[in-house]
Amino acid sequence: MDKNEILTRVKGVVSAVLKTDSSEITDDANFVFDLGADSMQSVELVAGFEEEFDIEMDQDRALEVQSIDDAVNFIAEYV
Amino acid sequence: MNFRPLKSSEIAALENQGCFSSDWSKIEVSDPFSTHAVHHVRFSGVVRLGSLGGAMETKAGETLTSGLYYSKIENCEIGNDVFIDHVHLLKNYRIMDRVVLENVDSISVNASSSFGNGYEIEVLNEGGGREVKMFDRLSAQLAYILVSYRHDSALIASINQMIDQHVKEKTSETACIETGAEIINSGIISEVNVGAYASIRGAAHLKNGTIVSNEHAPVFVGDNVIAKNFIFHSGSKVDGGALVDKSFVGQGVEIGKQFSAENSLFFANSEAFHGEAVSVFAGPYTVSHHKSSLLIAGMYSFYNAGSGTNQSNHMYKLGPVHQGIMERGSKTGSFAYLLWPCRIGAYSVVMGKNLASFDTSELPFSYITVEQEKSMLTPGMNLFTVGTRRDSEKWPKRDKRKDPEKLDLINFDFLSPYIIQKVVRSLDVLLELYEKAAKKQESVFYKGIRIKRLMLKSTRKYYEMALHIFLGNQLLARLEDMQEISSMNTLRKALSPVSHEKAGMWLDLAGMVATETAVQDLLTDIGSGSIGTLEELLSGLQQIHSSYDCEVWDWTAALLAERLDIDVEKISAEQLLDLITLWEKETIKLDKMILMDASKEFDESSRIGFGIDGDEAIRNKDFEAVRGVAEENKFIIAIKEEITQTEKRAAELIKKIQGLQD
Repeated sequence: MDKNEILTRVKGVVSAVLKTDSSEITDDANFVFDLGADSMQSVELVAGFEEEFDIEMDQDRALEVQSIDDAVNFIAEYV
Repeated sequence: MNFRPLKSSEIAALENQGCFSSDWSKIEVSDPFSTHAVHHVRFSGVVRLGSLGGAMETKAGETLTSGLYYSKIENCEIGNDVFIDHVHLLKNYRIMDRVVLENVDSISVNASSSFGNGYEIEVLNEGGGREVKMFDRLSAQLAYILVSYRHDSALIASINQMIDQHVKEKTSETACIETGAEIINSGIISEVNVGAYASIRGAAHLKNGTIVSNEHAPVFVGDNVIAKNFIFHSGSKVDGGALVDKSFVGQGVEIGKQFSAENSLFFANSEAFHGEAVSVFAGPYTVSHHKSSLLIAGMYSFYNAGSGTNQSNHMYKLGPVHQGIMERGSKTGSFAYLLWPCRIGAYSVVMGKNLASFDTSELPFSYITVEQEKSMLTPGMNLFTVGTRRDSEKWPKRDKRKDPEKLDLINFDFLSPYIIQKVVRSLDVLLELYEKAAKKQESVFYKGIRIKRLMLKSTRKYYEMALHIFLGNQLLARLEDMQEISSMNTLRKALSPVSHEKAGMWLDLAGMVATETAVQDLLTDIGSGSIGTLEELLSGLQQIHSSYDCEVWDWTAALLAERLDIDVEKISAEQLLDLITLWEKETIKLDKMILMDASKEFDESSRIGFGIDGDEAIRNKDFEAVRGVAEENKFIIAIKEEITQTEKRAAELIKKIQGLQD
């Protein structure tokens, strides 16, 4: 899967979980500082990525994912 | 002490010093007796006086000449070196040695009293039905049984009979102020037994109570306290205009800053300031520090109530009959509201205004929040927060009980079998919910609360982590206890459970973790009459508490067989190595997640408001000056050290086991 596809799908998950229009999500947006995610939503995002890409992310490493581009790079290792 | 009647010369001397008695023959004194330390005292009824006139020192370090001055004393026995000055009425009291009573309105017993013992407190359900007869040796565990086991009316009747016998022994027409106690600048004190070395300073009104105090753990009752129908236990502090009515204040408890308590039990190390408690069972380490907090009709332990916490037990229906349970380690955030009935699982955090009744007891470590006025549960989330780790580490360090006899039996284990049995259950519950949920569903309902479907699968990993860490903790504790591991056979022998009976359910009796079987055996003994006194009952509870370690391993062995298909009596080196490696991996993973949570305390959003009039550089400098840097934070350093130790412990054991012959 190429990174552009991952990016599009990551934005889709983020948009659904954070109830934000995906057109407002920049490629380097930080979940907390730019998109206002709280700690529970951070966990929900990980769950969303896991379901979207049918992967199992390592919990401690997954929580280090703080932004859209982090997520894309991280997920690219799994798919 | 031997007493003799006053000599006529002594009566004359006393009268010359402004003393009066309508019948001096009823006044007896110890021998020798000197009149020089008795001035302007009106005696009434039978009064016995010990040796007076010696020097004594108050708790504040002031040196006094013991004696009786400007007071009225009626039907009292006064010990040696007692200082009584300006006490308007002292009636029906036994005053022991070195007691100071100064500037007090009255201290009296006016009728036969049990001094708060046996007084019924309407705990947990304000509508009644769970009354506890408090007494001066009440423990959190016994109270838990009395409050929670109402289904067994014969049991409750048997225990109440024991309490009644104790109350009978405590009932008297005279009270006692024990050695070294001080009552200074206080108002009316009636029907109150005051224990040794207690200090009452500035209390407004104390009525029908017992202050259990001793040299190791003196009690302090301070300014403007009004307490009626109460027991204050050793090491407790009730101060700052607290209003205490029909309440038990346990060992090391602090109540103050205008807190109001009614029909409530507070057990070891609880702290209650500013707010209000009504019909509350505050198990060990219940803490409410802030204004506008109302705790009502709830049972808690290791609980922290945030400011403005509010609970409701009424709802304008059949009266205040609802009740709530918050299992150990739970918290309510600022202005969190709970509508009873509710049962909140252990180590959970509640936020927002929750208008639904739910039961989350099978999902510990959860976050309960409110989204669009609906309560929402995030399972397992609180396992890896800094707060949970800090709390579990601080409780044992903050045990303020100095009394050599500790009434409440407290188990501080963070991951105990009680918690782990819930963790195991949560794994099954979440899996079942996930499998049943359709992909289009945003959330599912579980026992009255919503859980986002996405969380059902991912959060199981947190519970699995807790389970693996528990299993490893127990295994390592046993392996590391072994002086020498010579072969796999000796190791298997050491790991053999004591009992091969199927391990049952675990209970958390207000701080004491015990098997249901052990508790039921105790209750059966009460029913059969084998246990017939309070002392025997309290000793039975102590025995259960002491057998915890042994029971835990037996249960762990059964759990290993059940969940991982490992028979500890036939365990292979490979299985052991796998368990140790899994423990190491999961423990470090959890520590890293906690470090991640801790690091948020130093991130950009934590710096908001710092460097108020400066630029970013000033903001960062200000932040570092006040908060420091993450790398130097003691908590963070300790977690990092724990990671190192975990690696070391695992490596050492792996090395030992790898060298073993089968």
